[in-house]
Amino acid sequence: MRRSGNGTGRRKRRLETTKRVRLAERLATGLITAGGFGAVIAITLICAFLLAVALPLFRRAQASEPNEAPVAERAPRRVFPDEYGVLVAVLGQDWNLRVLAVESGQVLEEIEPFAGLSRPTAFSASVDGRSLAFGFEDGSVRTARIGFESSFPIADEVPAELVDVAGGRVVEFGNAIWQRTPEGKLRREALDFELGEPLQLDSASPVQRLSHLDDDGDQTFVVWTRDAGPLFVQAESTMNLFTGESETSLEERVLPYDRESDSAPPAQVLLTGTGREVLIVHGDGRAERIDARDPANATVAEVVDLTPEEGERLTSTTFLVGRSTLITGSDRGVIRAWFDAPREDGATPDGKALVEAHTMRGPNTPVVHLAASPRSRLIVATFGDGTVQAYHVTSESRLLELDATDIGSPFGARILPKEDHVLAFGSAGLKSWEVDFRSPEASFSSFFRPVWYETYPGPQHVWQSEGASDAFETKLGFVPLVYGTIKATFYSMLFGTPLALLAALFTSEFLDRRLRAPIKSSIEMMASLPSVVLGFLAGLVIAPFAQTALPAILAAIVTVPLALLLGAHLWQFLPTERRSAWSGWQRVVAMAAALPVGVLAAAWVGPGLERLFFAGSIELWLGGKGAHSIGAWGLLLLPVSVLLVTLVGGRGYAAFLARRGESWTRGRTARVDLLKLGVGLVATLGVAFGVGGLLEVSGFDPRGSLLDTYDPHNALLVGFVMGFAIIPIIYTLAEDALSSVPEHLRLASLGAGATPWQTAVRVVLPTATSGLFSAVMIGLGRAVGETMIVLMATGNTPIMEINPFSGFRTLSANIAVELPEAVQGSTHYRALFLAALVLFAMTFVLNTCAETVRIRFRKRSSRL
Amino acid sequence: MTTTLEPPAPTPAPEASRQRARKRPRRRTQLSAHGEPFVWISGGALVLALAMVVGLFALVLGFGLGTFWPGPLEQITLEDGTSVLGELQREETVRLDGEEVDRRLIRVGNRDLTGVSFRWIDNADVAKVERPDWALVVERLSWGRFYGTPVSYQVQGEVVTEDPAEVWSAFLAEQGPARERLAEIRTLEEHEIGRVNARLERARLATRGAELRFGEDSDEARRAKMQELRIQEEGEASFAELGAKIAALRAKNAEQKVVFRTSDGVDVPMEVASIVRAYPANRLSFTGKVGVYLARWWEFLSADPRESNMEGGVFPAILGTVSMTLLMSILVVPFGVLAALYLREYAKQGIVVSTIRIVVNNLAGVPSIVFGVFGLGFFCYVVGGSIDRAFFPEALPDPTFGKRGLIWAALTLALLTLPVVIVATEEALAAVPSSMREGSLACGATKWQTIRRIVLPRAAPGIMTGMVLAIARGAGEVAPLMLVGAVKLAPSLPVDLTAPFVHPSRSFMHLGFHIFDLGFQSPDSEAAKPMIYTTTLLLIVIILALNSIAFWVRGRLRRKLQGVHV
Repeated sequence: MRRSGNGTGRRKRRLETTKRVRLAERLATGLITAGGFGAVIAITLICAFLLAVALPLFRRAQASEPNEAPVAERAPRRVFPDEYGVLVAVLGQDWNLRVLAVESGQVLEEIEPFAGLSRPTAFSASVDGRSLAFGFEDGSVRTARIGFESSFPIADEVPAELVDVAGGRVVEFGNAIWQRTPEGKLRREALDFELGEPLQLDSASPVQRLSHLDDDGDQTFVVWTRDAGPLFVQAESTMNLFTGESETSLEERVLPYDRESDSAPPAQVLLTGTGREVLIVHGDGRAERIDARDPANATVAEVVDLTPEEGERLTSTTFLVGRSTLITGSDRGVIRAWFDAPREDGATPDGKALVEAHTMRGPNTPVVHLAASPRSRLIVATFGDGTVQAYHVTSESRLLELDATDIGSPFGARILPKEDHVLAFGSAGLKSWEVDFRSPEASFSSFFRPVWYETYPGPQHVWQSEGASDAFETKLGFVPLVYGTIKATFYSMLFGTPLALLAALFTSEFLDRRLRAPIKSSIEMMASLPSVVLGFLAGLVIAPFAQTALPAILAAIVTVPLALLLGAHLWQFLPTERRSAWSGWQRVVAMAAALPVGVLAAAWVGPGLERLFFAGSIELWLGGKGAHSIGAWGLLLLPVSVLLVTLVGGRGYAAFLARRGESWTRGRTARVDLLKLGVGLVATLGVAFGVGGLLEVSGFDPRGSLLDTYDPHNALLVGFVMGFAIIPIIYTLAEDALSSVPEHLRLASLGAGATPWQTAVRVVLPTATSGLFSAVMIGLGRAVGETMIVLMATGNTPIMEINPFSGFRTLSANIAVELPEAVQGSTHYRALFLAALVLFAMTFVLNTCAETVRIRFRKRSSRL
Repeated sequence: MTTTLEPPAPTPAPEASRQRARKRPRRRTQLSAHGEPFVWISGGALVLALAMVVGLFALVLGFGLGTFWPGPLEQITLEDGTSVLGELQREETVRLDGEEVDRRLIRVGNRDLTGVSFRWIDNADVAKVERPDWALVVERLSWGRFYGTPVSYQVQGEVVTEDPAEVWSAFLAEQGPARERLAEIRTLEEHEIGRVNARLERARLATRGAELRFGEDSDEARRAKMQELRIQEEGEASFAELGAKIAALRAKNAEQKVVFRTSDGVDVPMEVASIVRAYPANRLSFTGKVGVYLARWWEFLSADPRESNMEGGVFPAILGTVSMTLLMSILVVPFGVLAALYLREYAKQGIVVSTIRIVVNNLAGVPSIVFGVFGLGFFCYVVGGSIDRAFFPEALPDPTFGKRGLIWAALTLALLTLPVVIVATEEALAAVPSSMREGSLACGATKWQTIRRIVLPRAAPGIMTGMVLAIARGAGEVAPLMLVGAVKLAPSLPVDLTAPFVHPSRSFMHLGFHIFDLGFQSPDSEAAKPMIYTTTLLLIVIILALNSIAFWVRGRLRRKLQGVHV
């Protein structure tokens, strides 16, 4: 605003802000606002990004529009798709191999593997379809390898006609197929088939059923011959050192079977992944499981009905990758997964039982064909009505439903090796879909509900995310990790909270003012300790020490408080004047002196107690040595007993004092008080060990349930060391809350005749409750997310045991251990992001809760 | 809050006691009202917490300072006649099958000969303990320590002397030159050969880049290919030349050898150059011991690690920690201060700002590993991956920025420490009296001028404190670094003398991660212990120093401001 004059005759100075200042102002405002919003964006970004990575876990599988092609192939015995979904080889009824182009359905090449030979009478293929075996009329078997060879010929070798092939297009040329890859190179793909030499069986009787296992050249066969029944054949190749030729010798053994009832050949013979177990599946769904760990003395371990429903018929079977799980399909559209689970009752000679672990129900039409993915636990099932469904066996979830009703009567469908295509074959054509299964093994129930994994006795919570091979079953149960997190948090809070709150109470209410600042800052110094240092000390220094001094440490839990109580009772003998004069640093020194007394007492008592109650060694006792468990029960019951005696005895004693103690002198009261302490101690121990003895007599042993074997890297250790991390946090916040209680409340209470103790307990504590609560919550948040300490102080085994002497694995440690190895974008990677999100959410809720309470507390206390 | 204002409950006073009270007008407080036992329990908690702090620091200090002190070398003859030469590590009493056994841990070294470097010996088996005069502790480049007595000194395979004292002085005379030659070899190997390799790699990438940009058959690609071939030829030549130089130095070093005899009587010839340090432990005077002690500390602080980090120094880890922390504070401080200024000075105080404040406070409580997960997924893979695709396509599929690295670690930790800076700055801003702001504004200053000239200078101590606290937190944080950048052994330093001096995409070593790695992933954790103790001490000293600086700066600036202004 400018005015020309103001009546004083003086011209006012120009009050215009210079351009530079204005510019700076605008710039600063913009920058600062950007900074402010940047902080907010950064924070939301974390949450959003974790969500964005974790959420695709729960997205459903997708399939593209199908590609359809007519095919003149009737009922192929087996189809062998290539890696890219471009070619498919078909083993026809005439035992010839035909290579078809998926896009057009045209036959590119036909191979007659058995030209000039007799036709096979039986055949078997591995799960990935790369290894085959054929059985013949003359009692011989041959193995074969089939695959697609892909190559990237250099520019000069590319036929002139193909130079201009556009990206993505598939061209048939010669007996191969050419395709330009997204990287711009031409890829040539052709069938590669190789038939092995015949292996002649001794029996020379026609082979009717066959199953084989090719483990890096060591071949095992199960052969059903017309005359000799089931044979277990091991082929061993030896290199002749002189000629350089390899010779194969066969070792044949007859497997047990009931010749009378099994005169017809069974529907299938199957050899499991270990090569030491054989299943003979009959047409009526009966299966004999033969234990062939010792092939010479193979026995029928059990007979299982693979079609448990009344009148159900078995229509199709396949192994999952790894050949440990057998998938069966029935005429009612039920798909079942069977594997060997341990069986404890000894009903089977090998201690295992073939159990139906997973059941999936499709449409109520027969399962025509089942096929397993060569690299995971996915299967596709083709049903009689022409639908094709993909399932994940472990989670029993149906991932995709594809419609193949328009390609004639269905023969079957397969998942391609990269799991990016599904190919269905019918009497009138073939159909292929580009699919994306995303994360089939992840679902809410597989994360948080018990799942029955291969070789486990029943559904369990298990976390085991990585295995050596494709056959490994990923186990993504979060529950053991959450359990471990809770266990770590529980023990550290159990140790840290009372200590921190009591210390804060003492600091704010009873400590000499001059001592307050240095003591507070030295405890806060503990907060600046890097947790990696605490973890290292826990794992490498304290753990071995605690192992040697276990009895003394357990005894110290009792003796140290006892020494303090004793000190207090002795302190009461001091004359009143002395006591009030010495209520400053002198009392703290006396307390500090009580501490080593308690520790020394523990070191002195501990070994004796160990000899008395734990057969000389707690560690061995926990491992199962030594008979009685009175001592352990006594220790476990001690907290309850202390509570009981203090409540009951304390009330009685107060009443007694009120009645009788009115006229007593100080000294007499102090003496009676000391007596009370002794009586209370005896009563407490009596109750604890009495009840312990009763439990022992009635046959309860805490070992195996509440307690178990001793692991030096255990929950108690974590609780203690994590105490270092959370005590300073809780202590500082609690002390702040207590000292922000207005002084006038204290003064009023003291002025009304209350002692400092009464003031502290009845005035200060209730006022500061919400502040203390928020302090504990923040400590809890820290304990939940602490990584390095638990990582270094525990064994990191994801087990669920209530035993305080065993280790665990927490969510945070699990992330630290596994994320560096996880492949970006994989299910495992996303699952770990989900774990991080769970942690984030847990601490966010805790902290928000604490923060709101704290703000309300601050407002209220400022009003007081 | 009626309950809190209740007077302390007086004991009920029936008729009888009232009469008595008339007799005794001064009613005494009952002893139980003082709650002495409870006070003691809470005091005990405080004392225990203090004892934990003190004990912990004493432990770290004791172990950390003690490990480098050269102890005596003992020859222990056992009951069965065999003898062991080594340094006593510690003695302990253990219970084996219920029996108490006293035993001692001896560092016996000579891992190349025996396969172990530590041995437990039952005290009951010890027949005789001696301290041989000329027993030497030899710290080698590989295989850890060696213990033995000098037998002879050889030059070009010929024995020069066999008298221990003369061998010792010959060794001392030759050690310096031999070590210098070794250093020269290392320079040639690492710097010269490394430079040639880097040039070759650049040429390869240039070719690949030209191919990507102009097509495989383009003139540019061909020219780049020619250039690459030429550089390859030059490279071959310089490799040959360097190889010859190195071989000559090696041969010279191979001439000088000391032969030692172990306690088992095995003679071991050793190149002088392969010996880092040797001393006759039992002949050492106090000053000699101090010399060895200080030399070890110097090596620890300045040298590269060797023997899978269990020996040598931690210089790369110190450098990594410092550069990562500095980069982090450069990133976090301006950002945090801006955010705090916005929250306190610009934003309208209301429900939104208080929500943001809660969220910021909340962020301080989010587990650090979650930041690590975010950093790996977002910074390394998403941001780094995009940078790679946009700027370094020729190096793909080898990632340049799309992997763990210094810059991502610094960014992650900056995010982690952001709440610390924001909270500290906000507090500092709040502490500046609003009368000052109002005064400045009333004088006609703009808002930014007020902030810059009046508010910020007064808030500086608080901001400084926040910064140093953030640095202390960042320096000690390990869990996120395991995911976003720290490695066991970095092939090259993140900061060095080749342009552009700071290499933000390189992974780095970190003191905290070093502790974790040594303690839990090294093949022999007993042998790694001295290294862990000293590294721990170093880390704690750095962090405590940073914390103390924070408090000192805050105190000083406060006092200064109090002195100058009202």
